[in-house]
Amino acid sequence: MRGLGGTAGERAILLGLALGTAALSLLPLGRLLTEGLGSGVLGDVLGAPRTWLAAERTLASALASTAIALVLGTAMALLVGATDIGAKPALGFAFLLPLTIPSQVTAIAWIELLAPTSPLLKALGLAPPLGSPHPLYGFGGISFLMGIEHAPLVFLSLRAGLRSLPGELIEAAEASGAGRLRILRTVVLPLLRPALVAGGAIAFVSALGNFGTPALLGIPAGYSVLTVLIYQQLAGFGPQAIPAVAVLSLLLGVIAAAGVAVQTVASRRRDVRTARPSVRRLIPLRRWRPVLSALAWIAVAALVALPLAALLSTALVRAYGLPLSAATLTAENFRYVLAEHAATARAALNSLLLAGATALAAAASSVLLAYILVWRPGALARLVSLAAELPYAFPGVVLALAMILVFLRPLPLLGVTLYGTLGIILAAYLARFLVLALRTTVAGYLQLHDSLEEAARNLGAGLWRRIATVVLPLAGPAVAAGAVLVFLTALNELTVSALLWSAGNETLGVVVFSLEQAGDVSSAAALSVLTVLATVLLMALASLAARRLPRGVLPWQG
Amino acid sequence: MGKHIARGRALGLWGGAVGAQSGTLALYTSQPDRVAAETVAAFNKLHPAVRVEIFRSGTTEVMNKLAAEFLAGDPKPDVLFIADAVTMEGLKAEGRLLPFPEAEVSALPAAAYDKDRTYFGSKLITTGIVYNTAAKRPSSWLDLASTEAKGQVVLPSPLYSGAAVIHMAAVSADPELGADYYAKLAGNGAIAVQGNGGVVAQVAGGQKMYGVLVDFMALNAKAKGSPVDFVFPREGVSAVTEPVAILKSARNPEAAKAFIAFILSKEGQELAVRQGFLPARTDVEPPAGFPKPAELRILPLDMGRTLQETGELKARFSKLFGG
Repeated sequence: MRGLGGTAGERAILLGLALGTAALSLLPLGRLLTEGLGSGVLGDVLGAPRTWLAAERTLASALASTAIALVLGTAMALLVGATDIGAKPALGFAFLLPLTIPSQVTAIAWIELLAPTSPLLKALGLAPPLGSPHPLYGFGGISFLMGIEHAPLVFLSLRAGLRSLPGELIEAAEASGAGRLRILRTVVLPLLRPALVAGGAIAFVSALGNFGTPALLGIPAGYSVLTVLIYQQLAGFGPQAIPAVAVLSLLLGVIAAAGVAVQTVASRRRDVRTARPSVRRLIPLRRWRPVLSALAWIAVAALVALPLAALLSTALVRAYGLPLSAATLTAENFRYVLAEHAATARAALNSLLLAGATALAAAASSVLLAYILVWRPGALARLVSLAAELPYAFPGVVLALAMILVFLRPLPLLGVTLYGTLGIILAAYLARFLVLALRTTVAGYLQLHDSLEEAARNLGAGLWRRIATVVLPLAGPAVAAGAVLVFLTALNELTVSALLWSAGNETLGVVVFSLEQAGDVSSAAALSVLTVLATVLLMALASLAARRLPRGVLPWQG
Repeated sequence: MGKHIARGRALGLWGGAVGAQSGTLALYTSQPDRVAAETVAAFNKLHPAVRVEIFRSGTTEVMNKLAAEFLAGDPKPDVLFIADAVTMEGLKAEGRLLPFPEAEVSALPAAAYDKDRTYFGSKLITTGIVYNTAAKRPSSWLDLASTEAKGQVVLPSPLYSGAAVIHMAAVSADPELGADYYAKLAGNGAIAVQGNGGVVAQVAGGQKMYGVLVDFMALNAKAKGSPVDFVFPREGVSAVTEPVAILKSARNPEAAKAFIAFILSKEGQELAVRQGFLPARTDVEPPAGFPKPAELRILPLDMGRTLQETGELKARFSKLFGG
């Protein structure tokens, strides 16, 4: 590892950090693989009809939601990225909100919006008749909601693709008399194919791993996808269910890997590289502009604002099921979750601690790991890259289960057991969310000219000194943005903590989920509203603090 | 302080360690959040210096968290306050429970507590049928398997709720209803949610017309104005006693004893009545809306057999209803 450069001490630290990162993510996943394949119940689980029913439902809802996400995300990305529609930053921010609002909260909001008891619909006289099952429970609702939730992923992927769209081609097509739709079909969409495939693949894999939405909309309909089945088995049968759920999570991992493989193959098939665009040419909407603009805002209102309004109205009503009116209005539900429900305060503290520690640790190690990735390419860099990407690419339950396998028994030598403590959640968060900080940090480093770092080295500055005086001052905002992303994601997390939480070690996501599961809908809604407020506040703070960032580091900024 | 001691004596606390307790008390419970919070608040009036940490989930999930803690060698709770005695029997057999021989049980029926005084029933919670008042009033468990209730029944899952485990065991052992009763429900389009709270939310919210539910949740919802009512079906209801026990590994056994003494005291039982529960003590009047405990028809339950079959019951349920 001489390639790392620097003194022996510096090399040891870089090497140790890189190997530690690799161990934290690859060891548990490897342990899961051997546990699942070597499990005595492998045949039983794979022979059970329920397993394949759950797999089929997982696949069906993931595919359907990906289709919805592709349509919605593409339409919005084309409007915002390829046309001269107005108020683009606001439109983009609003459309990306479903990505940062935790899925359990989105699900509760939509449940409230369309329930027969919906205070909002009752006030409008539009509530569904009594005795009708909730329209969102089951396959349709799960697909629809995951589609909305993951549409921003397609949007982001396409918007990046649209930035490198050569305006010359559009101008040439216009000059030869092609109409706007024809330009879209023959020039824009074909060039966007890799971005479309990539966005679709991310949406698909995210849908496979989604837990909050299919749990809240599927359990009441007896419709279990794999993530939910894993959770139910573990909650219902305890540690004895671990071998069986290890097999289930491997199955989920295989489906996810297949999704990623299809994407890799599909995006390699045709070379659509173009020269760097010298002109950006937006498609003029002309007389359609007001119409499309109105449509876009109506869509945002219906998909984002309306369910949040329903959530708020449920949180403000005295007893669940009553309509919202001056007589039923109360702040009691907020008071209860804030002041009386002990788990809320505990969970808020836990989530803040976990998110803070994960963000700090991920940012700090990213500063060093990005150094390897950017300036010391080689086998070690590839290992770090793999170790960072894998736990994020696989569904959260897969990683959570892998962590249980490794940390259930006391650690060798130390004699400490992480299972049943916040420590195991922290370990899982570190493995899963490191990549978010690492990607932004690498993006920041890539903007630095390596001659600066080299010059400092030639002047005899050690690694710490170079990082402190050259790298951080220039790439600091990118590192900070990465930390914020990690913080925000970890703060709202449910999928991993749903399996790893223990008494006293709940996260905010777990508490919202438990309240809803226990039938305390009003409290769940109140806590959800608070979560959304905190999220939007954090996003706004990050946007303010991040004026100096390279474009695209904060996903919601254009 | 003196006042508390006087009050502790008046409540009939055990001999030696009378007096206000202090320290932290970890309470694992399956009671609804708000009920648990009220109970702790009332306990804290007698013992203001005890900081009670509540951890709540369904009995099944509570027990599985505890099983993992046993496995990791670090069980955290002092007091366990869960739905059913069968689960307590299991823990007792494993030697996990601390006997509390001084507990005041003179007003409890003998069936309500363990003869070795390791756990004590605090209430009588029956499981019957809740229905939305827009639907026809059912009278029998078989009504839930009729065409009228097709696709309109919701029940709590034994994979989450302890009362649901006992209910499934009692119903399956009943000669009239039988082991295939749950299969009939599943065939009739019944669905399972996790806890009893989910059942009452769906029936009160009008998404399902009928639900299998613990009595107090239905009657409390009715009292609040929700369009629901509760039926004790003619075949009988299943019942759990919501027992409370101290773990042998408890870090604060004195506070744990004080907590149990409060739960079993007349004051504690009167609080339970105000919360809508049938009390365990015979000298406390049941809340309005309940038949006299003596008039209740309770489906018999073989504790030993249920303890052995719990895993099998849960597996069967999981196959029938998914999850």
